[in-house]
Amino acid sequence: MIQPEEILKTVDMIQKENLDVRAVTMGISLLDCRRATIELTCEAIEEKIKRHAAHFVETCEAVSAEYSIPVVNKRIAVTPIAYVGAGFCAADFVKIATALDNAATAVSVDFLGGFSTDVSGGTLYGDRELIAAIPDALTSTKKVCASINVGTTRSGINMDAVVLLGQTVKDLAERSRDQGGFAAAKFVIFTNQPGDNPFMAGAIHGLGLPEVVINVGVSGPGVIARALERRIDQDSDRNLGLHDLAEEIKRTAFRVTRCGELIGRRVAKALDIPFGVVDLFLAPTPNVGDSVGEIIQILGVDAIGAPGSTAIVALLNDAVKKGGAFASQSVGGLSGAFIPVCEDRVLANAVRDENLVLEKLEAMTSVCSVGLDMIAIPGSVDAATISAIIADEMAIGMINNKTTAVRVIPVPGKEAGEYVSFGGLFGESTIAPVRNAGKSTRFIQFAGKIPAPIHSLRN
Amino acid sequence: MPTLQEQFIISITSHDRVGIIYEVTRAIGSLGGNIADIRQSVLCGYFSMILLASFPPKTTRRSIEGKLAEVDSNSESAIETVVRKAENNVLSYNSSVPENAYVLTATGHDRIGFVATIALFCVQHNINIIDLSTTVSNGAYVMILIVDLNHIASICEMRRDLQKFTSENDITVVLQHYDIFRAVNEINLPIR
Repeated sequence: MIQPEEILKTVDMIQKENLDVRAVTMGISLLDCRRATIELTCEAIEEKIKRHAAHFVETCEAVSAEYSIPVVNKRIAVTPIAYVGAGFCAADFVKIATALDNAATAVSVDFLGGFSTDVSGGTLYGDRELIAAIPDALTSTKKVCASINVGTTRSGINMDAVVLLGQTVKDLAERSRDQGGFAAAKFVIFTNQPGDNPFMAGAIHGLGLPEVVINVGVSGPGVIARALERRIDQDSDRNLGLHDLAEEIKRTAFRVTRCGELIGRRVAKALDIPFGVVDLFLAPTPNVGDSVGEIIQILGVDAIGAPGSTAIVALLNDAVKKGGAFASQSVGGLSGAFIPVCEDRVLANAVRDENLVLEKLEAMTSVCSVGLDMIAIPGSVDAATISAIIADEMAIGMINNKTTAVRVIPVPGKEAGEYVSFGGLFGESTIAPVRNAGKSTRFIQFAGKIPAPIHSLRN
Repeated sequence: MPTLQEQFIISITSHDRVGIIYEVTRAIGSLGGNIADIRQSVLCGYFSMILLASFPPKTTRRSIEGKLAEVDSNSESAIETVVRKAENNVLSYNSSVPENAYVLTATGHDRIGFVATIALFCVQHNINIIDLSTTVSNGAYVMILIVDLNHIASICEMRRDLQKFTSENDITVVLQHYDIFRAVNEINLPIR
């Protein structure tokens, strides 16, 4: 029997500390949906998604009600569409995006990821058409998210693609000008993109995975923040070291991951689908008390972005992974801490107060689990500068054998210091200045490829 | 054959001290009693134990009571015992928590009738209480119940009623599946 104090601690975690399952994502392979014509292909895609995901949302809701733990998002990830639609032109890829959107709407999921491809080793004809289709695809649909993997540690960074994608980000923002450039928030550029991550906008159902799979993304920055506060409060008279706090994070991460594993497995079993991974990421929401920035502050910097912030993120990210790794049979590749600025009230405030700047965020991403995420930048920043921001972030991922990503929103018609709101979980933020904009043009014009690092030669 | 054995439920209460369990179980052993299951706890310094034991055929309630009376007479504190013959057909050896077990925590000001109020709700909804303990947390009185919801009509309806009940009685109640508590507190993941 579980001890009363453990029961009370668990009750607090669920009731007061914003524990939730952030996303249950159904991965569906669409590789067998290719037909002779685009119309038949779209039909096959819609049919397959609807067939597998027909009871997905209601099952998540039933399990969520049984355990009384909210499942915030129900999502679908599909095979990177370039693999399914290779040979079709850009206009046809837009039709596929529409089919995906229709299917996602029919089964009532929040988002669908996988309008994607991997161009790390080179850009194929189909990749080029898919990339060309992204602005239309994301502005004419509601639920479809796109991602492109431009680099890996094994093959280097495809700078030709990075050049192209800087412009794609600009186009997306421009075409959704009336929503503050929101379409750019549905697009993310990766290095070392994991094939099984349940996190939007980069969710895909990679090659080498089962036909259908259930992955879970668990969050819980609020739970970790409260656990740390309690620990610091209880042991204030003792010499509490960072190693003690790391241990507290680890233990709490274990508990949080366990809830996700439990719910994910129940959903998978109810749908008779194999269970994939739990991704334990500390992903904030704009709600008060559900912030990664708050944890960074609790760990001892008065302003996020102050010296020490990077070390704190490193400690946090590692402790989260360690706790999660033991809690779950299979932990996803993105586990760790996210620092998406707009989605985290405390981080957004740090940008507003000019404590946190793009360069410091970049440093922090070299030790966090993903990258420059949900950062609003001035709409006037040129495409070449955005490509250069992408290149910097990709280089961090490539050299350090880790996933990095860029999701920046150049807000049309707004400058640094102005304010933008995207609504809901996407949050709001002051626009962060981009220093030295326009000064990387020659670098970007070289294009080509950044070769894989020496440590890619591992065999 | 175990069916030929006589089963008895024995409950013991006493002021807590060193040696009670030894003395009681030695007495049971001397009658050839084999203990099948046992629960023991100390409440505010008061020892309480309930056990199920099987005895050789023809062992009577009186003979067990007599043996335990000897333990009592040699004890510095009074040991009170209740012995009862158990009907074999009503015994359930499955002591594991049922599949539909939930943890209900009720927090409120300490007052007369607090436990009864919660228990009444359980009765009205056909909720069986498997385990109950109380504690004080942050100055409030907390009841922790492990309940079996296998016999309730509808969990959604019950949750709605619970919501109404808590606001009417100024009690904070949280009802959460037992699996969650196991998942976050034990090494093994409860997988059904």
